[in-house]
Amino acid sequence: MDIMKKFKVFCVWFTGLLSLLLISGCDLNTRMSTFTAKGPIAETQLDLFMLTVWVTGFIFLAVGGVYVYVVIRFRDKNDGDESIPSQGHGNPLVELGLIGISILLLVIIAVPTLQGIWYTHEIPDDESSLLGSWYTNGDLSEADANEPFIIRAIGYQWWWEFEYPQLGITTSNEMVMPAGRPIHIELRSVDVIHSFWLPKIAGKVDLIPGRANSMWIQAGDTIDAWANKVGFEGSENERQVAYEQYLEEEIYDYYYGQCAEYCGDSHARMLFRAHVVNDEDFYAWVNRMNEGHTEAPEGMTWEEWYTLYDETPEVLTGDIHEGLKLFMGRAKCATCHAVKGNPRAVGVAGPSLTYLAERHSIAAGWLNHRNEDNTVDSEAQLVNFIKWIKHTDEVKPGNLMWKAKGAGIGELDPLLNDEEIRKISLYLQSLQ
Amino acid sequence: MSTTNTTEVINPSVHHDLAELKPEISDLGLKRPDHSKNVLIDWLTTVDHKKIGLMYGAMALFFLLVGGLEALIIRTQLAVPENDLISAQRYNQLFTMHGTTMIFLAIMPLNAAFFNFMVPLQIGARDVAFPRINAFSLWAFVAGALVINFGWLLQALEMFGLFSASGATAGKNDFVPAMGWFGYAPITSTEFTGAGTDFWIMGLQILGVASLSASLNFIVTIINMRAPGMKMMRLPVFTWMTLIVSLLIIFAFPAITVALIQLMFDRVFGTNFFSVAGGGQPILWQHLFWIFGHPEVYILVLPAMGIVSEVLPTFSRKPLFGYAIVVFSGAVIGFLGFAVWSHHMFTTGLGKIATAAFSLLTMAIAVPTGVKIFNWVGTLWGGKIRFHAPMIFAIGFVWMFMLGGFSGIMHSSAPADAQQQDSYFVIAHFHYVAIGGILLAIISGIYYWLPKMIGKMWQGSLNIWVGILTVVGLNITFFPMHFLGLLGQPRRTHTYLSGFGWESYNMVCTIGSYILALGVLLLVVDIIRCFRSKQLAGDDPWDARTLEWATSSPPKVYNFAATPVINARDAYWAHKYGPENRKLGTVEESHGIHMPSQSWMPLIASAGFIPLGLGLSMMQAGVPYMGYVSILGLVIIALGISLWALEGPGGYHLHPKKETN
Repeated sequence: MDIMKKFKVFCVWFTGLLSLLLISGCDLNTRMSTFTAKGPIAETQLDLFMLTVWVTGFIFLAVGGVYVYVVIRFRDKNDGDESIPSQGHGNPLVELGLIGISILLLVIIAVPTLQGIWYTHEIPDDESSLLGSWYTNGDLSEADANEPFIIRAIGYQWWWEFEYPQLGITTSNEMVMPAGRPIHIELRSVDVIHSFWLPKIAGKVDLIPGRANSMWIQAGDTIDAWANKVGFEGSENERQVAYEQYLEEEIYDYYYGQCAEYCGDSHARMLFRAHVVNDEDFYAWVNRMNEGHTEAPEGMTWEEWYTLYDETPEVLTGDIHEGLKLFMGRAKCATCHAVKGNPRAVGVAGPSLTYLAERHSIAAGWLNHRNEDNTVDSEAQLVNFIKWIKHTDEVKPGNLMWKAKGAGIGELDPLLNDEEIRKISLYLQSLQ
Repeated sequence: MSTTNTTEVINPSVHHDLAELKPEISDLGLKRPDHSKNVLIDWLTTVDHKKIGLMYGAMALFFLLVGGLEALIIRTQLAVPENDLISAQRYNQLFTMHGTTMIFLAIMPLNAAFFNFMVPLQIGARDVAFPRINAFSLWAFVAGALVINFGWLLQALEMFGLFSASGATAGKNDFVPAMGWFGYAPITSTEFTGAGTDFWIMGLQILGVASLSASLNFIVTIINMRAPGMKMMRLPVFTWMTLIVSLLIIFAFPAITVALIQLMFDRVFGTNFFSVAGGGQPILWQHLFWIFGHPEVYILVLPAMGIVSEVLPTFSRKPLFGYAIVVFSGAVIGFLGFAVWSHHMFTTGLGKIATAAFSLLTMAIAVPTGVKIFNWVGTLWGGKIRFHAPMIFAIGFVWMFMLGGFSGIMHSSAPADAQQQDSYFVIAHFHYVAIGGILLAIISGIYYWLPKMIGKMWQGSLNIWVGILTVVGLNITFFPMHFLGLLGQPRRTHTYLSGFGWESYNMVCTIGSYILALGVLLLVVDIIRCFRSKQLAGDDPWDARTLEWATSSPPKVYNFAATPVINARDAYWAHKYGPENRKLGTVEESHGIHMPSQSWMPLIASAGFIPLGLGLSMMQAGVPYMGYVSILGLVIIALGISLWALEGPGGYHLHPKKETN
């Protein structure tokens, strides 16, 4: 019978293509890889996953091996033997035994799973989880100090707002967080369901309208957990230095996240970023975000600038002044966007633009301008600003900035011309 | 009575000449469409479970190709990063319709085709319990399929600038559903989606009517119409799985029916079941949907397990290993299927206890599933395996379904699932189950039963190529998706940026999908060749075990010339090879065979669903007078059902003659 020959041809094909496939990409350390876990939550999740891989791998080899053996061994050999095989109906002992083994194998997964559920569900209940235990950048109210550090992630179609309620900061699409500190993330949505997924740091939890979801995350281990894990022995000082070195080498980074629940037209373009930094850099960022842009362009005070803007706008010349005039005026940007410091740019419908030019991407992570060394590529940034303002509807179909019931730039008559768009973009680039 | 006589009586070579029969007159005084010479009228009004089964099959194969085409466009769009072959909206419509089509319009009716054709034959019945309700189920399915797909026409008009929405969904020009087959509130509200969602609601609701009425029919049939001696524990496993699936449908569909009604009320009448602003709860939808949705998974897969449990024994020439435990584990799967719905919702913030409970229950469901796999392997053990086409696919099924099961176990660990949920890993998982499992089993069923259905035998060895291309294609398409998911690519995204390490995997997946598509295309070619084949199948081409092979191929309209008496499990095998006391007997009947009359009423009643569904949906898009059209639909349904009740059951008798030589 040529069926066996065909089966062999099939096997050769199959293994050939499968290996081709495995060669085609085996880099598991990519931007959003769950294989390179960078925090206790993602590590717990990865460990559990690998456990299921080993257990099912074992079953696969055992059952699969028997299966292949049976299919080959008991094939009809076409040797003229027409006898009917024994009509056995089953064997209760074998069946119960296999059920027992299956249950046993599942228990191996179940116990760590339960531990994992309890661990990942709530922020550890100890002193070091409280904001007051590590935050040394200015005074905290007692209530805030006795709570974990809170970041509130708010989902919009199709961008992210990140509020730091204890620190009075709002930013969008790129969050900044200190390494080695447990963070309580409050998840809120204003429209449809979104899902917060920062694969290297934690699996996802949904943002559901009308529901107060939360999760906790942590980039890298706390100093105690790390020291335990590596079995560090030495003085407190050495310990601090070695820990800092671990964070430097493995944790401080620019992390990629994305909305993981289908949320409408531009779901694919709802990305976000997390800068994981050391405490000092975090404090510096907090202070700058709190102050905002204290000066108008060219070192003017906002009062001076608005006096001119209101009375003699024609004297405000030059790209950045003109860009800001458009931003506040014809282009209606400030209707929806806030720029902290600028007293009249206090819109709340769109993403906050405070220190926008320091971010490494715009349009919720879709348009990128980050250099390898973690600096901003300003040429690419300008191109991206222009592209976004000019083609908002194409970069993110269906989004409100283009058509927002009379407030969108797609509804301006006439539309912004290229020169105006360039000036607004240059102004945005000055937000640093 | 002697053996030879028995066989002749069950399967006579001479039978009553149908052409001599005259149309019957119904209680309304109208001519019934019985014995029509017009082929079209005959098929439109048929109540014969075999013709209905064939129509389900043909329709389902068509939608399998439609759903496959949608998948190919999706894969082509994703072949390279930042591709702009299709727009975001079109992509979202395609993945929504791909899922909806494959589940409701391809796999469910393919299963229904086998239920219809095979269950009465397997239990030795003349037809199903309610032949006209059976026809109604078929036509309601067709109506639902039309309603759900009607949006494509409006979308085409919209593309040419000939139509745009006004009224309740003004400015929302998505006329094909674009909110995913799961339709998570609140994206299904009029605030976020247009009339496509209404077509989807109405279409699913109609399909639900079709499935519910069909399921009630099968439950009654299997419980009441078994031939004498066909005890429950002698039922072929496929019939057992049909029974379990029918019960699952009866219990699961009410949840989605209620949810769809609530959603329709939210959209059309402004109620607040799922609207946060009005105090509603979007999460409620997810619970209702998955209480239906998870049993639905088993509604799709249990028939596949049933098919394989028929094919493996036949081609190993051995009884199913552990029949009782296979049947029992099918029931346990069905039962537990209602207790694991929240594992689709591990990321919705369920709380520790609920997460733990659903995690453990999900692991528990792996046990009866594993039992089935062990028993299939046990069936092969010690057999004489013949590699005919049905067997090749059944063997492939066990292999691929096992892989899908393993990734299922990986999901059951809730913390691990937090990384997998809504990523390509999930797509890999359920396509191994849906294609590697269900589709391979259905192809196996087609190769196994089509000779019985049409009386013609497969020709040539195209089936080998169908097997190689589908199995290779499926693995190349979906195996890399495990990695894609774990490398962070979310599902339901119409495009992606380069630089995330996803490019090569996506390209490989796309190539694989074309290989898989070629395999399915060759299957269709092979089926057409089988229909045109000159070689007759004979009654029992595979030396099979169950009762359907005891009658002629194709079976006569009355299935069995005399009601068989069953004396063994694997009744026909025992008849052929067993001891004398296990052979088939017959019931002596003097009054002939009572046949049901054909009727227009099921067709008319279900045709009313079309104006009802389309009217309500298009009303939402602001088309004038559509409210009246939907009321007209209700009137047609009411009229159809009333006349159906009033025309009387009818029926006539056939008298198959025994061969005299």
